[in-house]
Amino acid sequence: MRKTWKGLGFAAISLLLVLQIACGGSGTKNSDAGASAPAESSGQASASADNGGNSGNGGKKIKLKFYDFHTEAEEKFFRGLVDEYNKIQDKVEIEYSTFNQGDYTTTKLPTAFASGEGPDIYMISPGDFMKFAKSGLMADLTPYFPEGAKEDFLPASLDAVTVDNKIMALPFELELLGLYYNEDMLKAANVQVPKTWDELYAAAKKLTTNKVAGLILPPDKGPYFNFIWYPFLWQQGGNVLSADGTKSTFNTPETAKALDFWGRFFKEGLSPKKLQAGPWEIDHLGKKEAAMQIVGTWAINRAEEVFKDVPINVAPLPIPEGGKAATDAGGWKFAVNGKSANVEEAAKFVMWAFAGDPQRALKWCTEVKFAYSPRKSVVEAGKEIYSKGMRKVFTEQIYDSAIPEPRYPSEVLDVVGDAMQYVMYGKYDGAKAAEVSDPKINDALAKANK
Amino acid sequence: MAVSKRMVLPVVGVLLGLLMLFPIYMMLISSLRSETTVFDFQLLPVEFEWSNFKTAWTESGLPRAILNSLFVSVTVTVVAMVFHAMSGYALARLNFPGKSVVFGWMLSTLMVPFSIIMLPLYLITKDLGLGNSYWGLIVPSIFNAYGIFLFRQFYRDFPKELEEAAYMEGLSLAGTFFRIAFPLSVPIIVPLTIGFFLANWNSYLWPLVITQDEKLWVVQQELAHIVGGGYFTPWNIVLAAAVIAAIPTFILFFIAQRYLVEGIKMSGIK
Amino acid sequence: MTPKRISARTRNEWVTAYGFLLPNIVGLLVFVFIPIIYAFYASLHDWNALSPKVYAGWANYRELLHDDEWWASVRKTLTFSVVYVPLLFMSSLLSAVMLNAIRGRASGVVRTMFLMPFAITSVISAIIGMFMLDPRNGAVNHILELLGGSPQQFLASTSQAMFSIAGVILWINVGYNMIIFLSAMKEIPRDYYEAAEIDGATGWKSFRYITLPLLKETSTFILIVTTIGSFQALEQILVMTDGGPMNSTQVSVLYIFKQGFDMLNMGYASALAFVLFLIIFCLSLFQLKLLSSKKEGV
Repeated sequence: MRKTWKGLGFAAISLLLVLQIACGGSGTKNSDAGASAPAESSGQASASADNGGNSGNGGKKIKLKFYDFHTEAEEKFFRGLVDEYNKIQDKVEIEYSTFNQGDYTTTKLPTAFASGEGPDIYMISPGDFMKFAKSGLMADLTPYFPEGAKEDFLPASLDAVTVDNKIMALPFELELLGLYYNEDMLKAANVQVPKTWDELYAAAKKLTTNKVAGLILPPDKGPYFNFIWYPFLWQQGGNVLSADGTKSTFNTPETAKALDFWGRFFKEGLSPKKLQAGPWEIDHLGKKEAAMQIVGTWAINRAEEVFKDVPINVAPLPIPEGGKAATDAGGWKFAVNGKSANVEEAAKFVMWAFAGDPQRALKWCTEVKFAYSPRKSVVEAGKEIYSKGMRKVFTEQIYDSAIPEPRYPSEVLDVVGDAMQYVMYGKYDGAKAAEVSDPKINDALAKANK
Repeated sequence: MAVSKRMVLPVVGVLLGLLMLFPIYMMLISSLRSETTVFDFQLLPVEFEWSNFKTAWTESGLPRAILNSLFVSVTVTVVAMVFHAMSGYALARLNFPGKSVVFGWMLSTLMVPFSIIMLPLYLITKDLGLGNSYWGLIVPSIFNAYGIFLFRQFYRDFPKELEEAAYMEGLSLAGTFFRIAFPLSVPIIVPLTIGFFLANWNSYLWPLVITQDEKLWVVQQELAHIVGGGYFTPWNIVLAAAVIAAIPTFILFFIAQRYLVEGIKMSGIK
Repeated sequence: MTPKRISARTRNEWVTAYGFLLPNIVGLLVFVFIPIIYAFYASLHDWNALSPKVYAGWANYRELLHDDEWWASVRKTLTFSVVYVPLLFMSSLLSAVMLNAIRGRASGVVRTMFLMPFAITSVISAIIGMFMLDPRNGAVNHILELLGGSPQQFLASTSQAMFSIAGVILWINVGYNMIIFLSAMKEIPRDYYEAAEIDGATGWKSFRYITLPLLKETSTFILIVTTIGSFQALEQILVMTDGGPMNSTQVSVLYIFKQGFDMLNMGYASALAFVLFLIIFCLSLFQLKLLSSKKEGV
């Protein structure tokens, strides 16, 4: 019998160990409330943030969580912004955390929100926009705009974040697409800067060698893949969804044409099907491994700083015969958790950051990175910068044709991406791909809107 | 003839081994490249940008992340070895009602992809008060049927005579396990330790979900942070950081190497 | 032995056994099993993780029956398993046999060389894989060209991508499985072989009639665990192809991950995960049955 008890005794000890670890965990947490307070001051719980012992300043500060996906210089900017805001007022204290971009949207945000510990302030991509808006995770920011600020924004940029007449997020940058190219390579091949689709194709064909890719386009499925393709569709007046976003308008000759045009570059080996650097990195041109690349305004700073010896220039996206200029204006949006106990305080910070003093917005759009501000006053204040070098091309020739990136649900993005790959890999031609995908888009919409 | 035949296998082995190491070699020389040449193909190291390592070490939270990962991985591995060996032994050598049910149940927990239980696991772990803490990183990672299964298979091959003798001499079943069977399990504990340590060293999704506080970040989170995913990824720094992050594992391998040999000597008792 | 003593010992054995199992039973229950039950519960709901769950009965399961993309992903997964599992099993067994035959210092050196890739994390291994297999700049194509072959598309090809991924996963895992085989081989008493040698059985014969049967338990373990693992390979695929090109590497776990986390259809993803679980469960059961029935035959 004693032997038996010995066996049991050991089990009991091990179990105790497990429990101790468990209790120890929570014990540590309570006694160390200061250090672990960021986790505690969640969306709903942050109202009771007065138990967060070490806020330093009387202990009555409201703690707000701010999740971001930026790294490097952009991360520094936001950290600086948060630090500054924490200093200039003593009502709230913002805690900033940033995560790898891919994991931010797919893992970190959903799990945090699912457990009711979502951030008070966060960044939202167009693909997630509707789902978050419908789940009440985006507060209506309309009442918090400073006097006259709303009028300062480009109407289209606000339309892109408006649901049922409520402005659900704050746009703070417009990233426009252009055709970047290597001047020397074009000259050497005796190629003019392409203005039409036919010229773009002919140029890519002429410029492609076994060392140099004619034109860099994104080859892998994902939001960026679609983002670069949309302008080709829009230039002919086509669109993925009807204006009210309720049904597919995908099965059209315009779609077929845009798909075929896109697919041709890959099928004929003018655009590589696999890239080592990201398709959004200007390094392909910088390292002289490509002659042309469709990429956004963000590439300018790197092209000028890192690849200043390479003659990189930019032109508007080529358009088809009889088409009209169109480019995509991307960019993440700033959102406030609608379920936060401190919507007002969070919204104040967001407005302070990007709807108040134009200098902060200008710093973001011109020093930290290069993008357009959706605010006229900011673009005005940065006039000098906006007319420097390649920026001038964007300002004078591209800006006016910008259409904000649509906020299609990820289900729809997926079907459109499939259609593009069908054509790239020769499974279907554009017309067939458009036809097959049309009902799938309607299904995807039904599923997303459930 | 005999000599040359004896030489063939080691030579083949070394050649195959070199093939296995080739990609690691490529990673090493690439980690010494500059930001713009990191992807250029070169068989020999042509650049030596040691500053990449300095940047990776000083301009990220890597040092702290390595300490965190070490603490978590070592704790999980040590506790898991004892728990799993106990369970594996019970399932292999002891008779009790419901044995096959318990074994089948444990095995079935291996079959669920982690990504799908991640969200529920997070909710439960948080409700237990383990969120955003070392305990949240450690406790849920201990329990894994892999180790139990491997110990069970190992003990099934274990010579019965030793235990019988021990039992006759008055050792309890538990005593037999802890005094005889467990110390003789070195041959399986060593590879499992390597496997467990590494699995925890590599874990990424779980730490990402369970922690908020940057002080708790582990190695893989830090690596992902350097990769970023923004407009530009400094691959040379990423690779340098990856090399640094692999060093503790390499050290573990070299230590384990010795015990792998010793394990063989000990089992010579039989 | 009197019946009474047997019963005391038996009871003692029961208690010890459950004592030994208790920590793991509790741990697996709390940290694996309850989450599984929760996931099953979620699979009966419409749930996007952001809003409250809405009960949907078996709707998610009915939906997956007609989800072509899902069944395509199941086929991809099976293809991957059929390629990867035998390859991994054979290569780790063969390298273990080879290492077991190497004597002296060389043995340790070769063993370390084989094990080294295992220290590379899955994400980094995927990055190295992409780097080595790049169609334009990759080392593998450069070497192919040196040897007179023509460059391949690898990850950018709908027909080669899956094999390329299997190759990368194989590369990091061979060494570890080899070590497990090796530990089991070292347990085989040398005199078995010496006795066999006297009977004239060497090389293949002693491998076939001594080594292989005595590796039974280890082989079963490696086969089952590798099969289960092959159904769950996610990280490398996520990094190297993200399911592309043209969904040619979209295995089930990846599809589940996309449904769950890209599209936030958590309820549906849970239902898919359950079906995948059932598939793995049946396969493992089948393997176990097959391998243990063979035991009697040997």
